[in-house]
Amino acid sequence: MHLIFGGAYQGKLDYAKERYGVTERDVWDCALLPGGHGEQTGSTLINHIDYSKKVIDHLEAFILACVKSGEEAKELLADSKALWKDSVIICADISSGIVPCDAELRAWREMTGRTLMYLGTEAQEVTRIFCGIPQKVK
Amino acid sequence: MNIFISGGCKNGKSYFAQSLAKMQAASGLPLYYIATMKPVDNEDQARILRHRQEREGWGFTTIEKGTGIGSLEADFSGSFLLDSVTALLSNEMFQKDGTIDQSAHLRIADELTELTRKCSNMVFVSDYIYSDAERYDTFTECYRKGLAWIDRSLARNCEAVIEVAYGRVQIIKGPDGFLDNIGGLEY
Repeated sequence: MHLIFGGAYQGKLDYAKERYGVTERDVWDCALLPGGHGEQTGSTLINHIDYSKKVIDHLEAFILACVKSGEEAKELLADSKALWKDSVIICADISSGIVPCDAELRAWREMTGRTLMYLGTEAQEVTRIFCGIPQKVK
Repeated sequence: MNIFISGGCKNGKSYFAQSLAKMQAASGLPLYYIATMKPVDNEDQARILRHRQEREGWGFTTIEKGTGIGSLEADFSGSFLLDSVTALLSNEMFQKDGTIDQSAHLRIADELTELTRKCSNMVFVSDYIYSDAERYDTFTECYRKGLAWIDRSLARNCEAVIEVAYGRVQIIKGPDGFLDNIGGLEY
């Protein structure tokens, strides 16, 4: 698994597409899932993922669904580890702003941190994208 | 060298950028500061005065250019500091009548690209506003997306890209040995 993270609009997906020579067809977008905004539980969402697609994008949307359904994202991911071991996983880095006033956003920010720590350990490769430029982290 | 600098707010970016611009003028080139803030009230006036005082003694010639950066007139063989890209975008994107110019980022990115062709010693300062956990309104989200567009364009077109994070200066892109021989650089 290759983990790609970075701030919003930094070119994470563009990098993944270029690096792996894939198109939009090979991208599973967690933010576009039905229920990607909290209508469904994290476990329902993760069961919908089509792992035949190379790239899993906007993992932070799946994590937000987990926050809303009271599930721990990294545990759900650990249960399905065999399925994404050859995937490219893209997640927004939302760790560096002011602590949000909204409790749900606070929980989302922290769960995203825990999830990225877990995925960073599991990944063969970790890349951060800064203003379109990749930096090798691992 | 054309250099793009970004990072979080109030972490020493501007001071570091001033030092780089001064270093690039070390051989006696004219040194320009492109001031981008458009004052709207007394608070802004006071801020501008404070910034001007902070730059005193550095040898900068200040050029006010908050909008229409493409029409900048100066001796392009000189060394420039443009601080900040962030202000250029807000000046042009948010109109007085409350509307937003949704193509402002495209125009500014093109104008700044043109400047990187005209000038070979320009330091651009922007702000890294992309890693917080907040839900923004459409206007703010449009601004973040637009600024990221300009940042990525500058990062592509500049020879060096630097991230400043609380005194830690990280070279994201740059020629080998870049910044090695800057013992005199204060930051």
